[in-house]
Amino acid sequence: MQDTGKNIIIAGVGGQGILLFSNLLSKFYMKLGYELKISDVIGLGQRGGGVESHFRYSNKPVLSPFIKAGDADYVISFEQTETLRYLHCLKEDGVILSSTFELSTSSVNTRLEKDMPESKTELIRKSGKKTFIVDPDENKNPDFDISKMMNIVMLGFYSEYRGYNHDEMIQIVKENVPEKFVEGNIKAYEKGWAIARAELVAKESEVSNC
Amino acid sequence: MVMMNGNEAVARGAFEAGVKVAAGFPGTPSTEVMDYTHQRYPDIYCEWSTNEKVGLEVAIGASFAGYRSLAIMKTVGLHVAADALGGAAGSQINGGLVIVVGDDVGRIAGDDYNDVRHYGNMFNIPVLEPSDSQDAKDLMVKAFEISEEYTTPVILKITSVICKTTSRVIIDEEYTYEAKCRVKYPVSFSKVIMTTMMMNAKGSEHPKLVKCFNDFPAHMKRLADDCNDFDINKLELNGKKIGVITAGTPYFYTKEVLPDASILKLGLVMPLPEKLIRELAEHVDELYVIEDGHDILEKNIKDLGVSVIGKELFPKFPEMTRFTPDIIEEKLVPDAPKRAIMEGIPFRLPVSCAGCSHLFITQILKKHKIKAAADVTCGLIGCFPHTEAYSLQKCMGSSIALSHGYNVATDHRENFVAMIGDGGFWATGINGLMNLIFNDSQSTVIIVDNSCLAMTGGQHIASSEFGFNYKPENKLEIAKVCEAIGVKDIVTVDAYEIETLENAILNAVNAKTNSVVIVKKPCITKFKLPKSDPYHIDQDLCTQCRKCVNIGCLAIESKKGKDGKVEIFINEDLCVGCGLCSTACKFDAIML
Repeated sequence: MQDTGKNIIIAGVGGQGILLFSNLLSKFYMKLGYELKISDVIGLGQRGGGVESHFRYSNKPVLSPFIKAGDADYVISFEQTETLRYLHCLKEDGVILSSTFELSTSSVNTRLEKDMPESKTELIRKSGKKTFIVDPDENKNPDFDISKMMNIVMLGFYSEYRGYNHDEMIQIVKENVPEKFVEGNIKAYEKGWAIARAELVAKESEVSNC
Repeated sequence: MVMMNGNEAVARGAFEAGVKVAAGFPGTPSTEVMDYTHQRYPDIYCEWSTNEKVGLEVAIGASFAGYRSLAIMKTVGLHVAADALGGAAGSQINGGLVIVVGDDVGRIAGDDYNDVRHYGNMFNIPVLEPSDSQDAKDLMVKAFEISEEYTTPVILKITSVICKTTSRVIIDEEYTYEAKCRVKYPVSFSKVIMTTMMMNAKGSEHPKLVKCFNDFPAHMKRLADDCNDFDINKLELNGKKIGVITAGTPYFYTKEVLPDASILKLGLVMPLPEKLIRELAEHVDELYVIEDGHDILEKNIKDLGVSVIGKELFPKFPEMTRFTPDIIEEKLVPDAPKRAIMEGIPFRLPVSCAGCSHLFITQILKKHKIKAAADVTCGLIGCFPHTEAYSLQKCMGSSIALSHGYNVATDHRENFVAMIGDGGFWATGINGLMNLIFNDSQSTVIIVDNSCLAMTGGQHIASSEFGFNYKPENKLEIAKVCEAIGVKDIVTVDAYEIETLENAILNAVNAKTNSVVIVKKPCITKFKLPKSDPYHIDQDLCTQCRKCVNIGCLAIESKKGKDGKVEIFINEDLCVGCGLCSTACKFDAIML
């Protein structure tokens, strides 16, 4: 076992399937024999409130349920305002995987506070970390509803990035989502995997052109 | 070995302890302890009671019958049940009696800052606190043993972090359930009766007097001595520089940030293992207390004459809502790098679900400038500044009595209306209604009948058409109960019939009598009501007056488009097509 473990912050807003994402990932790492601690922080906002999951797997017992700022290997976020909240949690060589989806906040909607003047996507890109951005609008697909299954698109992306066995991950998806959503979720997973493949090829060619 | 969150682990612990009866009232973060107990362990009788006090009383009665019993609530709920707890404290216990109480540290779900351990101090009863799921299951079993051995109710304190953290738990797969039963005492009386006996009949051996007498201070003294040897209190002697006394998840934060520290991890946080504390104090140069919530361990340790550093280094609320590993590192690890969250990220105030009946009520109240009190649960969202519909709001079930108080003080010159959810109404609000009737008040009460306790995830209440012990013939009708109590004017309206609802509220407010408007609409989230076509905003007609935004509906957003221009628009994925926003728009810009 080369990988001794990672700390992953999974973020977004209520209703985006963050808990399903961390649940599927936990099944995968359990099969690999890792120790796990997963701590979910769910806000008051009912639908639309911020949700974060601190996901830690390790080949040693995991101590703190919370990932200390500066200790996160990955921030995987389904909403870009939420991505910004966790950038400071990343390690120097940490990786960001963020959707461009944005649910405007009630305080900005009602002008209790001003929105950030800069583009949030650009702020994420400027963080200096290794960054992957997925735009759900650009990846709309008749085979599945990306507004509901962005979590599984991101799971496909993450698995490809980590070089995991897709058959195993798809099997876990099949076993853990309701029957009627299995087909759409597999399409979503394959979409994420394909986006990652294309991104990684592009990044490699960037590097080789330098 | 299985993965469980804290709530699941507590439920498993109850099962392995042979609990027979579980009663309580929903409350974040500990609601799911009951849900899991009911789903997974059908041998255990479960009920959501009308409120926490009733739930605890049910458990106390079951315990007196000899069976291990469990009450489940959050700390705010224990305030409601505190009288029952005071009655049970110090009394004779037959079957073990454990109260599982959720402390919402970190105000993750927006609770007030409470700490259940105060009840341990006040009533002199033991409090246990787990650090992870394995601990939660094990301490649950231990709590019942302590309850029976030392004849006392026991509190198991769980926090929002424990409840929502998943980790591995070793369970006995071979375990077969057996309801544990022990009848040791023929009577069990509150301290009022026992202390009267103690004072008047000291030294008496008359069996009628002896039967009533329970020497509870002696039991607690014995527990305080014995707990130095309990394996749930672990002294880990390492380095001599830093020592930490801790409990709950802060134990793991400490272990991670200070791997060389000597640590006393308390499973039993009350009473304290004095010998272990002194042993640690002698071993180290600096002794710290790291505890979530109030400075209760710290004060109790200082009372033993041991000097510790606590809140002088780690100031409590509002500086800190809960411990994190970061806070410990910042204070105790020199040269730790500082990392701060990016500035200017907008915050998220709680918003009602699109199509919620509460939004229809707040719109009407605001339109007619009707002053009103809100209750808790989903209706309290109307108090936040983006909706701004209510001027008074306190605790569960309070709004009816609050408005009555306002109205008698102002000689009923204006009708200060009460809005209350069905959950709050059954919990304690019904007392407020009875009170205003027989005190000849003329308040108007709006009761939101959404057929469940929506805020905590849709648990059943007395007027629900489902539930653990549901039978159609036992369902309570809000209108019938109001009628029986003596309310003069009762109307029931569908929330989405906005004109009828508006007239009903105005008629009730203007009537010179007491009145109830029941607003019916099943909770849109719990019952997954079918959606209608979404509305949209015509950008040419929209003046950005933001009347629609101030409804406080999750589906109405304002943000920059890809061209950089700010637009107000309706999120089609979230809109349920209720049409409320189209009635609010003065420019006819919102349409199907």
